[in-house]
Amino acid sequence: MTPHWLSASEAARAFAARTLSPVELLTALLARIDALQPSLHAFIRLDAEAAMDAARSAERELGARRVRGPLHGIPVGVKDIIDVAGLPTTCHSAILRDNIAATDAAVIAKLRAAGAIVLGKTATHEFAIGGPSFDLPFPPARNPWNPDHHPGGSSSGSGAGVAAGLFPVALGTDTGGSVRNPASCCGIVGLKPTYGLVSRRGVFPLSYTLDHVGPLTRTVADAALMLDALAGHDPADPASAPTEARLFGRDLGRGVRRLRIGFVRHFHETDLPAHPEMTAALEEAARILAAEGADVRTITLPGLTEFGAVNRVILTSEAWSIHAPWLRTRPGDYGQLARRRLLPGAFIPAGDYVGAQRRRTQMIAAVEDAFRDVDILLCASSMDPASRIEDAAETARTYPRQARTPFNVTGHPALAMMAGLSRDGLPLSLQFVGRYFQDAMVLRAAAAYERATDWHTRRPQIG
Amino acid sequence: MTPDPIPAASPADLIAALAHAAGLDTALADFPDDVAAAAAQALATTGAIRAPADPAVEPWPPMRPGIGL
Repeated sequence: MTPHWLSASEAARAFAARTLSPVELLTALLARIDALQPSLHAFIRLDAEAAMDAARSAERELGARRVRGPLHGIPVGVKDIIDVAGLPTTCHSAILRDNIAATDAAVIAKLRAAGAIVLGKTATHEFAIGGPSFDLPFPPARNPWNPDHHPGGSSSGSGAGVAAGLFPVALGTDTGGSVRNPASCCGIVGLKPTYGLVSRRGVFPLSYTLDHVGPLTRTVADAALMLDALAGHDPADPASAPTEARLFGRDLGRGVRRLRIGFVRHFHETDLPAHPEMTAALEEAARILAAEGADVRTITLPGLTEFGAVNRVILTSEAWSIHAPWLRTRPGDYGQLARRRLLPGAFIPAGDYVGAQRRRTQMIAAVEDAFRDVDILLCASSMDPASRIEDAAETARTYPRQARTPFNVTGHPALAMMAGLSRDGLPLSLQFVGRYFQDAMVLRAAAAYERATDWHTRRPQIG
Repeated sequence: MTPDPIPAASPADLIAALAHAAGLDTALADFPDDVAAAAAQALATTGAIRAPADPAVEPWPPMRPGIGL
């Protein structure tokens, strides 16, 4: 296999076997980036020189039989709202064009400790909310399956880069689905861990009580590998949970036999009726999981419309408290989409914000209640394949048609992955959701589905 | 004596007053359509939530006494 399609796990094994070196891998990736960045715009800033220095260092350490961790020598793309010391954190915005990070975010420090190499900063929707936009200092990332289409967002460059083979793993953030949307649009794996499992310190906030940091990868095993490195208590993050380190991939091979899977059909059947090909992919996934021995049963949760409203009221209220100073003084320095999506917070009364947080309590209780009878939820991620990126009306219509926000509202771990290809050659997707801090169970179900299908082996015909 | 009724404001005037109160005079002057769209979206979104009838339902995240004090 060409080096750029190796997963992080495969590359680590190749390093150990001395059939590949970190410098060789990085050299192959840089050549691919050179060829594809002009059409995909995955990066805002490529830090090739520092990455090559780190790869040489990783290679010397391997030669001395010193391995920092499971990601030793593995290049990673980083969404440009996450601080990397010495590099700008622009949030893809003119507002922060010259904002140089003084220190690494907690997740970057953890990845470096595990041996990973920061390859550069990837494109995002502006401040993780406004995109895809063409009125910003940097162009939006495009979908490797068809560059005329949106790669999803807001972690757009991270998703496009992983899917295109520019880097094997990446970091994104997820406040209303922004790790899982690019994973769905680009045909890869995106994991939003349990709220509080991964530190948000050093990540530019969008919404304090909804923000999560998570990995984008091409395989479920790599998502587990990344979570092993990322998870852990951080006293400097007020939302960080006092959890112990664990091996999240420990159950990947256990399958789904006798697991009770709650299929949330009403999300895609009646709440937001999905594209027929997406519906067919979800039904086929349920059939496959049942054939693998799972007990798949239909369950009901609160409706998507209200989940979405609760998410929006909380998100825009909290985001307004962050952006109000700039919206008052520099509204013209935002792109129009971000400006329109951030301004509503100015018009939401405090009582409605608290009301949304109270309704959130009830919605959490409803999902927790569902988990008394099932071990895992299966549901839609996106209701439609990726829209054409320059068709603003189609993007505006399809972007909110999704079932990811419920699990930002509740904080449960949720993973989106590829579940097929549309007739137009665009990825279809599904979502698994687990109980709090049972991220390993989510990964186990996803790994079972991955083994039973070959979608994870499909590659976009680009480059 | 009955107080004089408060005259009804037009939606545009109301939005302008709220925007002014929020310190958004520049945005209102330069991007009036964006401000109007934002106000409309806020109204539509808050109206889609069923506020809990039970006063005992507290907001999430729960209060954590002792943290940060």
